[in-house]
Amino acid sequence: MDLTPLVEAAQNSALSEWMRTSLKAVAIINAFHVLSLVTVFGTIFLVDLRLLGYPNVQRSFGRMHHELLRFTWGAFGIAAVTGVLLFMVNAVTYHRNTAFWLKMVTIVLAGINMFVFERVTAKSVASWDKGVLPPPAARLAGALSIVLWVAVIVFGRWIGFTKGYDFSIPENVQFDFSLPTQ
Amino acid sequence: MLEFAEWLQATPFSVAIQSTLWLTPLLQTIHITMIGIVFVSMLNVALRVLGLIRADEPLADVWRRFAPWFWSALCVMATTGLVLSISEPIRQVTALSFWLKMSLLAVGIVSALSFGRAIRAAAAAANPVSSGKARIVAVATVLLWVAIMFLGRWIAYDVEIWESWHLA
Repeated sequence: MDLTPLVEAAQNSALSEWMRTSLKAVAIINAFHVLSLVTVFGTIFLVDLRLLGYPNVQRSFGRMHHELLRFTWGAFGIAAVTGVLLFMVNAVTYHRNTAFWLKMVTIVLAGINMFVFERVTAKSVASWDKGVLPPPAARLAGALSIVLWVAVIVFGRWIGFTKGYDFSIPENVQFDFSLPTQ
Repeated sequence: MLEFAEWLQATPFSVAIQSTLWLTPLLQTIHITMIGIVFVSMLNVALRVLGLIRADEPLADVWRRFAPWFWSALCVMATTGLVLSISEPIRQVTALSFWLKMSLLAVGIVSALSFGRAIRAAAAAANPVSSGKARIVAVATVLLWVAIMFLGRWIAYDVEIWESWHLA
């Protein structure tokens, strides 16, 4: 499936042009991306630890899960919107970038893991809501979730660090880091 | 200060970090995952003060649950932050965002310490914190840490964000 016309349209759009030429837009959108992604990760991490029975199984899983989910989804929404905007700024470059696709695939895998947990494993939650260690399937879902979301952060940072360039790095690109002085 | 930064950036240790391509993104990644833990730990306590989560648990218990994570993750961030700064001291020193971030961080740490102390005192005296004031402080605290995060991200965009106030 050739995505080139789509990404070119995104990159050449008025919105994308505005973001590139605006002095502060990308910096502000980026800041909201960071804020939302750390909230997604932090809230998911909390629930995953509870699934693993850490630090204890005293509090109701169902209650904790229910209370935090709205923050996770709200933050994910902001992360997704800001992510799309950031992607558009340099869509053609990013859509050819290995780390970008790894990140997207990992997010999908994390979503599938979550979906399977909600639809299958969580059905039995009444029997392990508190006082007992959750069943193996639940613990696996928690462990997988942590690994996958950390991986998303790793890939995301790699995209940002290299500005989306895999190997042939152009001369005039301003990177996120300064090269050694010697 | 700039002279010190220039000297630091040329030291073998700094150059070694700069030259190891994967090291800076690794340190940044650890820094980011730790932000998740610090921020959400603080957020849980703030949301409890606002009565939005864990209302069945005493505030002191919620604090006890999250405080160790908050402080431990913050220590890891201090370490990664220090090494990251050593690898690019000139950028840090000339960034207004960096100095504002460090100032707000100091405020955040002091406020967290005093909150912990107030919680213990309140539990001992069985004296609930004033509801209205506590809510305002909770919201202000969340905004403070959001500001710290924004400023951290803006170190790399310092010129664009602060324009003529950039320190170079």
